[in-house]
Amino acid sequence: MSAILFDRIDEPGLNDIDTYERRGGYEALRKALAQPREGLLEELKASGLRGRGGAGFPLGMKASFIPGADIDKYLVCNADESEPGTFKDRELMQKNPHMLIEGMIIAAFTVDANRSFIYIRGEYVLQAEVLEQAIAQAKAAGFLGDNILGSGFSLDLVLHRGAGAYICGEETGLLDSLEGKRGNPRLKPPFPANQGLFQGPTLINNVETLATIPAIIRMGGSEYAKLGIENSAGTKLVSVSGNVQRPGNYEIELGMSSRDIIFDLAGGPDEGREVKFWFPGGSSSSVLTAADLDTTYDFDAMEKAGSMLGSGAIIVVDDSNSVVDVALTLASFYKHESCGKCTPCREGTTWTVKMLQRVQSGEATPMDLDIIASVQEQIIGNCLCVLGDAMAIPVGSLVAKFRPEFEAHIESARERNGLGITPPAASEEPVLSL
Amino acid sequence: MTEVTRFTHGSRIPGWDEPVDPTKAAAVIPDLANTPVPTELREEIQAEMAKYPVFRSALIPALHAAQRVHGWCSPEAIEQVAAVMGITPGEVAAVATFYDMFETQPVGSQAIYVCTNISCSLRGGPKILEAMRAAADGDADFNIRAFECLGACDMAPMASVNGEFVGPLTESDCAQIVADLKSGGEVLAAKQLRVRPCADQAGRVDGGQTTTSEVTQ
Amino acid sequence: MPRPEHKEITLTIDGRDVPAIDGQILVDAARGGDIEIPVFCYEPKIGGPVGACRMCLVEIEGISKLQTACSTPVKDGMVVHTQTDRVKGAQQSVVEFLLVNHPLDCPVCDKGGECPLQDISYGYGGGKSRFIEPKRHFVKPLGLSPLIAIDRERCILCYRCVRFSQEVSEDHQLVLLERGASTFVATFDGHPYVAPFSGNIIELCPVGALTSRAYRFRARPWDIEGSGSVCNLCPAQCNVTFTVRDDRVLRVLSRDHDGVDDGWLCDKGRFAYQATHSDERITAPLVRDGDQLRPATWERAIQVASGIARHSGAAAAIVGGETTNEEGLLLGRYLRDTLASHDIDSRQGGALSAGVLRELARTDLQATVPDLEFAHTVLLLDADPVDDAPILDLRIRKGARRNGAQVLVASGRPTALDARAAVAVRHAPGSAASLVLALDAALSGDQGSASSHATDAGSDLEAINALAEALKAGGEDVVIVWGERVTDGAGGEAAAKALVNISATLGLGTREGSGLLELPRGTNGRGLREVGAIPTAGPGLSNPVAVGRSTDEIAAAAAAGDVTALWFLHADPTRDGRNTETWTRAMASAGLVIAHASTLSPELAAHATVVFPAEAGAERDGTITHPDGRIQRLRKAIGSPVDVRPAAAIIARIAEVGSGVDLGPTAGPAGTAAVSAAVSFYAGLNVDEIGGRGLRWQDRDAATNLPAGDVNGESAAPVPAASPNGALRLGTYRSIWASPEVELSPALKFLSRRPTVELSPIDAERIGVTQGQNVDVGTGADVLRATAHLRSDVPAGSIFVESGLAAPGNLPSEGQLIEVNKA
Ligand SMILES: Cc1cc2nc3c(=O)[nH]c(=O)nc-3n(C[C@H](O)[C@H](O)[C@H](O)COP(=O)(O)O)c2cc1C
Ligand code: SF4
Ligand code: FES
Repeated sequence: MSAILFDRIDEPGLNDIDTYERRGGYEALRKALAQPREGLLEELKASGLRGRGGAGFPLGMKASFIPGADIDKYLVCNADESEPGTFKDRELMQKNPHMLIEGMIIAAFTVDANRSFIYIRGEYVLQAEVLEQAIAQAKAAGFLGDNILGSGFSLDLVLHRGAGAYICGEETGLLDSLEGKRGNPRLKPPFPANQGLFQGPTLINNVETLATIPAIIRMGGSEYAKLGIENSAGTKLVSVSGNVQRPGNYEIELGMSSRDIIFDLAGGPDEGREVKFWFPGGSSSSVLTAADLDTTYDFDAMEKAGSMLGSGAIIVVDDSNSVVDVALTLASFYKHESCGKCTPCREGTTWTVKMLQRVQSGEATPMDLDIIASVQEQIIGNCLCVLGDAMAIPVGSLVAKFRPEFEAHIESARERNGLGITPPAASEEPVLSL
Repeated sequence: MTEVTRFTHGSRIPGWDEPVDPTKAAAVIPDLANTPVPTELREEIQAEMAKYPVFRSALIPALHAAQRVHGWCSPEAIEQVAAVMGITPGEVAAVATFYDMFETQPVGSQAIYVCTNISCSLRGGPKILEAMRAAADGDADFNIRAFECLGACDMAPMASVNGEFVGPLTESDCAQIVADLKSGGEVLAAKQLRVRPCADQAGRVDGGQTTTSEVTQ
Repeated sequence: MPRPEHKEITLTIDGRDVPAIDGQILVDAARGGDIEIPVFCYEPKIGGPVGACRMCLVEIEGISKLQTACSTPVKDGMVVHTQTDRVKGAQQSVVEFLLVNHPLDCPVCDKGGECPLQDISYGYGGGKSRFIEPKRHFVKPLGLSPLIAIDRERCILCYRCVRFSQEVSEDHQLVLLERGASTFVATFDGHPYVAPFSGNIIELCPVGALTSRAYRFRARPWDIEGSGSVCNLCPAQCNVTFTVRDDRVLRVLSRDHDGVDDGWLCDKGRFAYQATHSDERITAPLVRDGDQLRPATWERAIQVASGIARHSGAAAAIVGGETTNEEGLLLGRYLRDTLASHDIDSRQGGALSAGVLRELARTDLQATVPDLEFAHTVLLLDADPVDDAPILDLRIRKGARRNGAQVLVASGRPTALDARAAVAVRHAPGSAASLVLALDAALSGDQGSASSHATDAGSDLEAINALAEALKAGGEDVVIVWGERVTDGAGGEAAAKALVNISATLGLGTREGSGLLELPRGTNGRGLREVGAIPTAGPGLSNPVAVGRSTDEIAAAAAAGDVTALWFLHADPTRDGRNTETWTRAMASAGLVIAHASTLSPELAAHATVVFPAEAGAERDGTITHPDGRIQRLRKAIGSPVDVRPAAAIIARIAEVGSGVDLGPTAGPAGTAAVSAAVSFYAGLNVDEIGGRGLRWQDRDAATNLPAGDVNGESAAPVPAASPNGALRLGTYRSIWASPEVELSPALKFLSRRPTVELSPIDAERIGVTQGQNVDVGTGADVLRATAHLRSDVPAGSIFVESGLAAPGNLPSEGQLIEVNKA
């Protein structure tokens, strides 16, 4: 396979426009600007590229939802990358920022958007600096701004730094945040393609999705579609982390065996350790076990295995870890990140954390595991966005797949505690102030 | 074992238990005529406002700027942002308290975020947090926080030190970080993300002909 | 924006065909079909759905996930299920989640018995909770403002209160802080939530988290009765329900009327009921005895007051805005028909001729309150609704926010709606008339006279042209909201004619949904004019037998000894901040001063001959007329203290004792019938027809009885604005908080006004004062000490002083120059 996104990405100075152009950068843009918009849209559709941010929605189809009407339209790049285990966009932006910018200009031209934004998570300081500089270079070179390369098309690109909130990766939460509000997700419909940023039609895509566009234009959509497999076209950056010897980002062709990714590329767990379970698509995906290692890494296979490809982040957990700790870490994360807008997520994550804390401390009984499982079911499908589900699905899968270990943990913790539940300590009476 | 007393239980929030101060006036949009704002801050906020089709979008950038000037999003800082942007300080506070990176209590100037999320915790993140706290030894200038996944699980366990990502960290690195910060030098230069090569073979300059270590030299 | 058209469709809910309107929200459509879908966060009055609470999940055929009925618009043929196991399971889950942290303290909760959470938990909950963890416990309740208490444990984060603050009142003070389960409702840095409409959040809260500090623990739902009436504290005339227990008003709630208030109340309307039961209220007749007013028997008070009969030809009456149509008609009749005195006025700034008043009242020129919501453009002419008729401020904001209405402002003092305005033009205080003339000229293309009027207004041609352009370009439906002060003073009549002309130019008379809406100073300003309580017109805006004196003229005449008896019906001109000094002299020299009042100003205390205790709002009966012509009924909710009698009965009794005449029926249906008999265009109206919601007289056939107007003839030109050479132009404003009811209500007392002067930072710097310092306004004996309030949006050269304060000071009139010095 020839690398597309990671092709010689460590080349010194690649983040500089000269090096990028020397390597053929911005050629795809020239090619695109010379084409009719419909043609570009067809290329994107033909590429079969599915969104790399988590939901896997086909790029071409999403772009075709943007109405043609003569109103202000927007393009937003989702560079919030906060899904635990995911760090691919970071490497792309830091090392090859112009590829993203070029992809964005082409995407904006395709949907006729004249204003674009990169919403980058606030923690990515270095990457923001790199992008800021790259945007300035692209502007100076005439790739951004008014009348790009004499095409009559104009585009403004603003880098917008977030400030630390996972929910701002959810596209509508991101839009609210970008509008200077709390990052609460919005009701859908209306979808961003119809009413997004500042109420205008908005195309919002992940960094990796947008960064792939120059390659698609260069190769032609149908050529790109030959990479990967049916329904999962192209290459994908996979972030492998956790208990593996060579954690990092790897560009693979979709449809590769998961075992090969985890063991051949990332080196597998340390000597003497076994894969206990793994998250195939970020911490929001249902966990798979060692038995699933031969599942191929693509959208359909992951769904068939009862999980999802998600953001393409594999987190490997080896047999030295307690499933209870992992569940509690997960639940605590989602509780901390719940925006608080809708009831099942806000209360459900809080309640789950409290129950898991009792499981961990030995104050629970196996009946509590039933309640934990049922609370997860009560969350799934009932929330405003899918953050609630993002906790309920993996936590539910852990309880379902490792119930004996939870029970054993409760038992041993109870024994350590001298059996029985510790009564709550006496309470202080509140002072009334009215 | 978790402590389960009435007021120390998980969800106690600063601010929850406080009534308003009736001697204060209503927090309406502050008039710039009555709210002194450092000129540079005002200009920076106004420049941010000009970048967007709707000025309100500049609120998060404005808060970043105000936090840089004031050290934290103090009530004074929030009022200044509100005055320049022509919105109420309540709206500003609502946004400031939503995001983890905005400090709404006074903090030390050295911001160390230690990741304790899943990938880092599988590789000892919580221990690094403890070691970092021990190394800073209560120095009020250090703002050490457990943080959610910072997007650098490839270098787990890791931390963000004043925005510079470093890892994989050992417990002994923590003392070094604290020392580097105190001396004003570069933090753990060899373990910074900016020098870390791509794990993928294809990332190498010649597409696999040289090794990653050669690339970084 | 014209009102949307409605298309009827049918959908199926739980197997039943339900007729609905295309695009209607499913919750509302279901309600129309008598199917209840439980909700917490959904409240269409506030704005679009947020889908936060998830209580309203239902199954819709063809969609795999459960959907929130609060955010789903219905379509023809849609098939909905609200009773399936899946839906019930989701409802039970949501109730269980909501109760995870909600304390079960219903027995001691103020909301108990009228609590949606309680009802929905019973109706849709599982009846048990598996939550055994300790709940959150916090100090409770806490003050959120002097009016509102917050109990954070009980909050279910339904977003209603904060959405109200952001999307309805747009004060943006109440917000959510923190995130996730830590989220809480609060204000910035412990500032109290003090805003004109804050009390509405109490009614919006679906649990007991926000409670009225004035009502807390005063009653239980089964102790109280609701009694519908109309708030008579300002011209907005919101519909209210008085909560009554043991013949006392304990609470005021909105009685949602789309044509009037849209379901909101201002805090004055909500809390000023407390003044009714204040110890400081006058509850017995007082008669002068040397330099003292002493309680007297009714017979004695009537005896003294009927001395007015001896002042035939020299009696005058000032009729306050709270006076009902019945009372105004009666007093006018007595004065004119029996006492041969024509000096009666209910306006403050001078009288307009009957012909002009009729022209302004033309049915085709009248805008309604809902028109504000659907107009393309709303133009404010020297009016600031938040002070003049607060609820209308919300209606204009609603139109702008939801329907994109263009707001235009031309005023002396910056208004609360400036931030929403496409164009905001300033004129010199008191020069609105010149501005209207300039606008009229600009609209008809006469740049020459537009320019000279603009100069006279202390404004500039360019700004006025911009206003005219925006008016023309903004769409056909235009509502012009004008403050009574536009027609004050010498140029008032000319301004009124210009308004009529502007209406003609813009074609307001030809379009439904367009028109004029005057904001009178008094609650019943419109009705009092229509029943003839003005010097220039008799009942029904008929030409009077003789034209009498206007308010200012009465003051001058009385001070000069030409008027010897003064009757203040629910009025105290010394508090209005105009001509205070003349009025004081007038009262001192009058031989007889009759007043109807609840409290005594120092001047009344010093000079009134006889004071009759006035009925409080909740004690009154009668009709009043809304600024848009809606005749509404005040209905007695509670009995008055024994010695408080209806003013109409008092007037009739004085006429009987003093002059031996029978003025006819005073109260009840017969009193109202007398009004409709006297006012030609009210003809045939009776209390049954008015009913609980009132009706606009323009919508009845009798409206054609309105006699033709007359705008011919010369009118005086407005006085040009003074140029502020060193001194400053005085502007005044009166907020709703400057009133005796506010001072008398313990809950509202904290809002009592102290003298403030608003000035521009430029003038402040010149004078050398900073925010909050004291300044002296005026010189010599007439100086007013006030606190300086710097505002960037006040134009340099003008200052604004709040009027209507308990100690108004003696300032020159609006628009004149005054010195301001550092104290
Ligand atoms: C809770 C939550 C967090 C998300 N975080 C991210 C993120 O950090 N980055 C991202 O690209 N997409 C994220 N998404 C997915 C976005 O909502 C959206 O689907 C994506 O940006 C679309 O881009 P794509 O079509 O290119 O994948 C998140 C979704 C949810 C529900
Ligand atoms: S699911 Fe969670 S994050 Fe999403 S809207 Fe609801 S509370 Fe917010
Ligand atoms: S009423 Fe529909 S979500 Fe609250």
